[in-house]
Amino acid sequence: MGKTKKAAQPKAAADEKKAAAGDGPSTSYDTTLPEKLELARTRVVCGTDMNLHTTSTIAASQWGSLGVDASFDMARFKQDFSIDIKRYEGDDMEFEMKGVSCAVANSLRRIMISETPTMAIEHVYIVNNTSVIQDEASCGVLSHRLGLVPLKVDPRLFQYKAKEDAPSEQNTIVLKLKVECRRLPNGAMENDKVYSRDLIWLPEGSEMPDETSCRFASSQEALVPDGVRPVHDDILIAKLRPGQAIELECHCTKGVGDEHAKWSPVATTWYRLMPELALLQQPRGQIAEELAEQLPGLLQLSGSGENATVAVGDVRKHDKLLEKARRLSGEERYAPYLQLRKIKDHFIFTIESAGAWRPHELFQYAVEVMMSKCDKVLEGLQAFPQRSF
Amino acid sequence: MNAPDRQEKFVVPDGVKKVAFQPDTKVANAGSFVIQREDHTIGNLVRMQLHRDKNVVFAGYRIPHPLEYQMVVKVQTNGKKTPIQAVHSALEDLGNEVGDIRTKFQQQLEQLNGGGGGLPPPPY
Repeated sequence: MGKTKKAAQPKAAADEKKAAAGDGPSTSYDTTLPEKLELARTRVVCGTDMNLHTTSTIAASQWGSLGVDASFDMARFKQDFSIDIKRYEGDDMEFEMKGVSCAVANSLRRIMISETPTMAIEHVYIVNNTSVIQDEASCGVLSHRLGLVPLKVDPRLFQYKAKEDAPSEQNTIVLKLKVECRRLPNGAMENDKVYSRDLIWLPEGSEMPDETSCRFASSQEALVPDGVRPVHDDILIAKLRPGQAIELECHCTKGVGDEHAKWSPVATTWYRLMPELALLQQPRGQIAEELAEQLPGLLQLSGSGENATVAVGDVRKHDKLLEKARRLSGEERYAPYLQLRKIKDHFIFTIESAGAWRPHELFQYAVEVMMSKCDKVLEGLQAFPQRSF
Repeated sequence: MNAPDRQEKFVVPDGVKKVAFQPDTKVANAGSFVIQREDHTIGNLVRMQLHRDKNVVFAGYRIPHPLEYQMVVKVQTNGKKTPIQAVHSALEDLGNEVGDIRTKFQQQLEQLNGGGGGLPPPPY
């Protein structure tokens, strides 16, 4: 067939180009697409006033008229997809995902933010509050602040507690806060600041079971051997003056970010597209020297004087200069040479955990949740026989 | 004051089916799926996956009202597949795709383990 013959030659050339491109797009079709369309398909072109080709063109029939079959193929996905963990320090993880569409990346991000459970303070029983931080129902600033304190405990050890359920050792954690500010004989104040480290875990349960109707059948020591404490010791909850005191009991339950942001396990998680700086044509001589001076590191100068040329350096390392490059690409003098682009299916994902989950566990959990969602809908679909219409 | 209970966002009440299908009366090979208690997280994903199917002519989703927790996916195919089959294979493909993501992530973590001497400890 005429079309496949034509495909053979550009494919060989394209394969070469792909190998040389390095950070290029990973979803490749037998690239019989002309260069301009390939650019529109795989790159977002960043201009100074607007970005071009921002939609992801992944419909199967997209390039049908050109003879390219763009339908989903599991084998090709497996080949093109890759994950690379770039940085993992403490509670921050940064990794790169190549070969997925933005819908998948976005869904994973949404699940991590709003559908991954944690434990957070939900009910606060106030015995005594003579501080200036209000605690009445309509302006429960103190309770609100307590709810937002992240707790270092694995939520998977606990069960969800519905409104009608009684609090028990399976679904509730009890913390106690009792601080009184006094003036010491030498004039200094003791306990004038209430920190999160003053929240003490009560593994035996509530100390006022009659008021809170919370009765534990057994101690939680066995369930949580490491103990329960806030992730950070130094979160300031309230300030006191001599004579003021706060005494309260907090009951924590399991929830998801969807219900209230205090249950979100991530400080935040986000992704961005991989940037790419393209040289539309090679600048020579003085323009090359000027560009290399404006974007040191990002553009590396070689040669000098009349023979000066530039090459694009490591884009990830010189991240901060990219916006400057975008601005320069809008200027008349440099517009023919520079173009900032983003690769549409290459994501730089960053996960910053709030402390209850490790970042890699978060991602793994998000993937599990996504699979179970697909399964749930599939199960619902079973009600309809496939052949019928 | 009139806001519904947040629990309603993810719990399907008794007697209500998770997925309901209505064939379109006016257009051939088309139908709408009403999926309860799902939102953009899965909606956008299914819509995108449906677009990747050669036999799907039209695919779109919407959430008719933000306080009613349901989603409507409208699919029209070219006759070689029924809309139900199209959505079925889209969901299965998604499951496989995500399974592959999980495997590759696990492999990367193990490389981090073996190479760098283990995962970094938690800071607190």
